[in-house]
Amino acid sequence: MALNTDMNLAPGPLDSRTIISFNRVSLAYKDQDALSEVSFNVTNGEFMCLTGPSGAGKSSILRLISMDAFPTGGQVRVRGMMSSKMNRRKIPQLRREIGFVFQDFRLLEDRSVEDNVAFAQLVVGVPHKRIAENVSRVLNNVGLWGKRHRLPHQLSGGEQQRVAIARAMVNSPKILLADEPTGNLDPRTAQDIINLLFRFNDAGTCVIFSTHDHEIVKSFGRRVIVLEDGRIVSDKQRQGIVDRSVNLADRMYRADLDAAASREEPAHA
Amino acid sequence: MLSRSQAGYLARESFAGFGRRKLTTGVTILIMGSSLLVLAVLTLATLNLSNLLETARSGIDLRVFLEDGIGREDAAELQPHLVAIPGVEQAVWISAEDALEEFRTTLGEDAAVLEMLDSNPLPASFHLTLTPEARNLTAVGAIRAEAARWPQVAEIIYNQDWIDVLERWTFRFQMVSLAVGLVVFLAAIFVISNTVKLTIASSARLIQIQKLVGATNAFIRTPFLCEGMIQGLLAGSLAMGLLAVGFWFLKENLEGLVPFTPAQMGGFVLLCMFLGLAGSWAAMRKYLTLQSETA
Repeated sequence: MALNTDMNLAPGPLDSRTIISFNRVSLAYKDQDALSEVSFNVTNGEFMCLTGPSGAGKSSILRLISMDAFPTGGQVRVRGMMSSKMNRRKIPQLRREIGFVFQDFRLLEDRSVEDNVAFAQLVVGVPHKRIAENVSRVLNNVGLWGKRHRLPHQLSGGEQQRVAIARAMVNSPKILLADEPTGNLDPRTAQDIINLLFRFNDAGTCVIFSTHDHEIVKSFGRRVIVLEDGRIVSDKQRQGIVDRSVNLADRMYRADLDAAASREEPAHA
Repeated sequence: MLSRSQAGYLARESFAGFGRRKLTTGVTILIMGSSLLVLAVLTLATLNLSNLLETARSGIDLRVFLEDGIGREDAAELQPHLVAIPGVEQAVWISAEDALEEFRTTLGEDAAVLEMLDSNPLPASFHLTLTPEARNLTAVGAIRAEAARWPQVAEIIYNQDWIDVLERWTFRFQMVSLAVGLVVFLAAIFVISNTVKLTIASSARLIQIQKLVGATNAFIRTPFLCEGMIQGLLAGSLAMGLLAVGFWFLKENLEGLVPFTPAQMGGFVLLCMFLGLAGSWAAMRKYLTLQSETA
């Protein structure tokens, strides 16, 4: 695929709605280039998909956004914080405004659903009473309040991912980074998870959704950045069936949610 | 500043490692306690030797014998010079007659043998007592050299040469104790550090999630540091307990030996807590550095 050099070099105009900005960002691990002069902006409340084959640089972009890695060239700006001027002691502060969801859920296996979600609030010092309120709210949002006392291994894959999303959302982050969140799920459950992410996006959270499955994102009707060998080869606002489907997704979500408890059997129960 | 929920969490997590790895923690405390017991025994032996040496040193004095024919006047002239030597507290004049009388008393029933002498063979002398700071081999050597400069002085006798031997052996023992202590010290840090590394390894996911949700390094580190300190506390207490039991069993054989005072025992346990803290810090520091490098 031909590279669009301009696309990689021009991040576009910065305005007050820009929440993430990559300006000619390069990243190398030892001698291997992971990203080469990548530029793009993300506005507040946007739902953006990153796609491309394994090793294309999707996870590297997510790591740069969370300042879990720092560019070897160029500048990353997240909520006004610039990577080159970032005091490392302030990174925890930034991460409190970012939620993370991963393909492998990354739950604490010895803690209940409720404790997994509460954990994210506990470590940042939210008072107990507010933790209880917030956990209840977010578990109701993801449809797992009824299973709050279960351990992760007593839940299905989809339910575990919903716990992970609840944990990511309980601190009301401005940005949600979802790294292949549907990679371990069957298509139907994957759709549930995507709908859930749409729903949080509708409520104002900026979602960066990374997947190697190009077909999934085609149907989103959202902005899609395609990466290849650490470069952006396409950055387009998709016009698709779901472009008119925020409400549809929401309706699907609600319908699925009602059916979820009966449909999803515990994986190892 | 920690919130109540954070403080509660940290307190729970500090003890959580003990519950999750009972055997490892138990073995660590046992190994560390035994190592620290060696350290405690060596410390106690050094303290007792030092006490013994101090007692011996308090009896140190020097006899400065004068040339024949030195009379009271010449001696009176010499006396202020001897007292002026740094480390000399007092210089008491003992005339030849007094010396003979003293000798007679020492001989007791055998004193009759002295009647066979035509004249008094004993010289006059000064008996030097030393300041506490000067009661050591180096200072005594300097005082001897200084006193010997005076022409009236015939010979200087250091009346307790065995103290030299004691001092040399005490010094050697202290050096060996220091070396062994240092090894034990480092070994204890190493043992604790390894145990905390195990705790850290088994808590890798927990740490990863803490970092993701915005916990500071200090917050992540605290329970592990506390765990190390608690292990140090338990190991130190075990060592002190074993030492006390040993003392109790062997008290008849150890007559005259001075045990640790409660303050010294407290200090030792505090030192062990510090060792635990240092071990955990080393493990955590390496781990968090590694984390940020791979980040």
